[in-house]
Amino acid sequence: MDVTITVNGKTRGADVPPETTLLTLLRSNLGLTGAKLGCDVGDCGACTVLVDGEPVNACLMLAAQADGREVLTIEGLSDFQKLSPLQEMFELFSSFQCGFCAPGMIISAKALLDKNPTPTVADVREALSGNLCRCTGYTKIIDAVMEVAARGGATAERA
Amino acid sequence: MVIKVDDALRTDRLAELKEADATAVPAVAREGGRAPQIVPDANKQTPAVGQRVTRPDSRPHITGQTRYIDDLSFPNMLHMKILRSRYAHARIASIDVSEAEKMPGVVATLTGKEIPVNSFGPSYQDQPVLADEKVRHMGDGIVAVAAETEQQAQDALARIKVEYEPLPLVLDPLEAMKEDSPKIHGDSNIYATKVIRKGDVEKALAGADLVMEGRFSTQMVEHVPMEPHATIALWEPDGRVKILSSLGRITLGRADVARTLDLPVNRIQIVGTIVGGNFGGKNEITTEPVLALLARKAGRPVKGVFTRKDEFVSSTTRHPFIMDYKTGVMRDGRIVARKVRIVADGGAYCSWSETTLGKGAILSVGPYRIDHLEVRAYAVYTNKTTCGAMRGFGAPQVCFGYESHMDDIARELGIDPLEIRLRNVFDEGSSSPTGQVLHSVAVKESLDTVADRVGWREQAE
Amino acid sequence: MKRRGRGIACMWYPIGFTVAANPSAALVKVNEDGTATVLTGTVETGQGALTVLGQIAAEELGVAADDVHVVSGDTDATPMDTGAIASRTTYVTGNAIQMAAAEAKKVLFEVAAPMLGVRPDQLEARDRKIQVIGFPQKYLPIGDVANHAQVVMGRPPLGSASYNPPTVAMDPETGQGKPFSTYVYAAQVAEVEVDDETGEVEVLRVVAAHDCGTPINPTLVEGQVEGGISMGIGLALQEEILFDEEGRQINPNLTNYIMPTSLDMPEIEVDIVKNYDPTGPFGAKGVGEPTSVPTAAAIANAIFDAVGVRIHSLPATSEKVLMALREKQGKQKQIPAE
Repeated sequence: MDVTITVNGKTRGADVPPETTLLTLLRSNLGLTGAKLGCDVGDCGACTVLVDGEPVNACLMLAAQADGREVLTIEGLSDFQKLSPLQEMFELFSSFQCGFCAPGMIISAKALLDKNPTPTVADVREALSGNLCRCTGYTKIIDAVMEVAARGGATAERA
Repeated sequence: MVIKVDDALRTDRLAELKEADATAVPAVAREGGRAPQIVPDANKQTPAVGQRVTRPDSRPHITGQTRYIDDLSFPNMLHMKILRSRYAHARIASIDVSEAEKMPGVVATLTGKEIPVNSFGPSYQDQPVLADEKVRHMGDGIVAVAAETEQQAQDALARIKVEYEPLPLVLDPLEAMKEDSPKIHGDSNIYATKVIRKGDVEKALAGADLVMEGRFSTQMVEHVPMEPHATIALWEPDGRVKILSSLGRITLGRADVARTLDLPVNRIQIVGTIVGGNFGGKNEITTEPVLALLARKAGRPVKGVFTRKDEFVSSTTRHPFIMDYKTGVMRDGRIVARKVRIVADGGAYCSWSETTLGKGAILSVGPYRIDHLEVRAYAVYTNKTTCGAMRGFGAPQVCFGYESHMDDIARELGIDPLEIRLRNVFDEGSSSPTGQVLHSVAVKESLDTVADRVGWREQAE
Repeated sequence: MKRRGRGIACMWYPIGFTVAANPSAALVKVNEDGTATVLTGTVETGQGALTVLGQIAAEELGVAADDVHVVSGDTDATPMDTGAIASRTTYVTGNAIQMAAAEAKKVLFEVAAPMLGVRPDQLEARDRKIQVIGFPQKYLPIGDVANHAQVVMGRPPLGSASYNPPTVAMDPETGQGKPFSTYVYAAQVAEVEVDDETGEVEVLRVVAAHDCGTPINPTLVEGQVEGGISMGIGLALQEEILFDEEGRQINPNLTNYIMPTSLDMPEIEVDIVKNYDPTGPFGAKGVGEPTSVPTAAAIANAIFDAVGVRIHSLPATSEKVLMALREKQGKQKQIPAE
């Protein structure tokens, strides 16, 4: 079946079997491998993307359900030269170690800051609770998000 | 002509480093949301040691551009799935892949008999690459299938016929140590023993003011790297095999592949790409030889990625430890003798058990000055997931043992837990349990630092 | 009712393999402009090894971290390395890289000495310069020297080295020997809150002091400690692989294998203990594994401080804590009043 989505501002489509997940569509058909396959059942959050502004586990959403909708992946937050404020802070704080959870984590953090530009530490913990990280203990991740908030929110990002 | 050099003006970088301040992260700054530890131009500063340099590999990670192995694809690439054992302990009577090979998209299958040297392991090579005679835990792989898509490979697994002769199984390590227990390898389930002895522990225990005992045990846990094990194998036109793997140690991995495939080392290239977390679980080969052989059979690259279930069931875990401590102390809190017995549950295969047992045994006495000690440690097979290297090689387990025990002793003697430790820990030049003279010791400094931070002494009675 | 408690634990941990040889080899090339490339067979598994190894080479060559590029992880193109295991990378691979950089630096000094009118042993590399010790006004930019070396003198500044920690085999009967070249030490304090009606334990704060010798990169050391503590909390309170009587794992998934999320993490404070190990590169040792070692014990001791029960087996789930509490209350009721 044909599925068409607007991903990172561009209209893209593919012909996929009906049981294809949004994650598979992004990774295998559209070459956007930023969202990761960590568990395939929505437990780890490594596949988090924004669908119409809401954070979603792409492994739990069928590609067909995303048809006609707007999807934002990590690749849409920046290009190699210019980082979004969240990514800039992740780099400065070394808020990642192996990097596997980072795309999903950053997307979830962006979703929080878009809705709540002045979160408390508890708000940040809550918003990131669906993104598992085994390397960092979450500490420097929370530092980075709080620093972005303190500097005035994630306003300089590309759509 | 004699050139004069004034030594007094010689800059001594090493002396500078010796005097450098430790850098602490104050809690206060974190609550306020502003952290002073960013140094935006650290990467350009000299000297380089001690700088809060940001990682040169950060851009790819935070922009989603990093290519982990599952993000990579080669033309004509196939996907592999592995059929794992239905029983925790059984003989394999027969394997029939004929129906599976007829399934749509299936290009090649592989069984253990086709592997030139079907055994591996960092110390004892007691583990088959693919089980062909016996299975010893449910994570044992038996048949590998390479197909055009992952789904087709998965569907083909259901058509493989394996006949098992189930054997009695043993899951408890203390049971497994008994003479009449089902045997998993050879004649005994105890496959490694470590002994450390110093002084005369029985005499010293007899002379102690107080003898305390305690049993402590820990559970089986898993590394849970966010990236599951992943490997791609392909044969180059010049007859060499290239294997991209999430292995943390590629030199040894190459040696393992050379051995199992009976190939010269220089015909193998192992590329360790970016790894999404290891923690010890990616320190031995898993499917690398299988993928290499499938790729050769199929004449195409083959990729194999563990599912999250594979990660739990088939990759290694941390050894559960059962630890018995017996310590002789004097009224003033000085430890005069310590006896430790450790039973390490090793699961179905040896993997890194010998190393874990050895390190665990050495560390089990704790960072304490004890002249009379005895440690006896045993690694035992059980029909459970193989236990291997996991962050600490036995250290987290024994620390739980000796530090819980220490607090019990402190309470019994009415001595503050911090004080009793300070009275007993290593100093610079102390003798370790194995008789080594220790240098660069910092236990007291570590204890004092945390005590000051939490105001331990102020709050103590 | 919620009760607070705190517990302390200290530990020691070795660097490198137990007795057995675990060498690392390294190659350092200084490019024509004074930047450098390092070849190492180790693999970056997220801990920031390549960053730290680059800093070590940079320190030896007197340049900045940005001036060094580290190539790793290819058995064809990089020299052997025993691997990112046993917390050995900073110490063993780091020593090999420092020695290799020193070899490359020798070439630079031999080429620069006649240009500066001094002997090679009068030179040092600092701040991207090859300068005279005691008279730093006399110097050449490292790029000039490197270019001159390769292009004029025909001596590309190249260095290679390997390192293996010195050990002594352990006696098979008594275990006496020198199994490791060096060890690291640490202490942690955990503050917990225990609900004595449900047995639930919440970790409020963990304070950690870790010795790693010279911290090559303090941010990355902190990252290791914070990550290690999260694994320690999981070990102490949550994680467990469960089997049924047929040997089948009951919870081989992340829904039922409970591990720490951002909600489970306490405030963490990290202090790097001031120390220097002369056997390590610029005094450094290592820190990868030690970080999760004392946490479970500190938490177990804190639970005792809070509610007076000793947990003998991990994980200290709320069921276990509650059962221990009930047992203790039962015992207390049985003690006859004096």
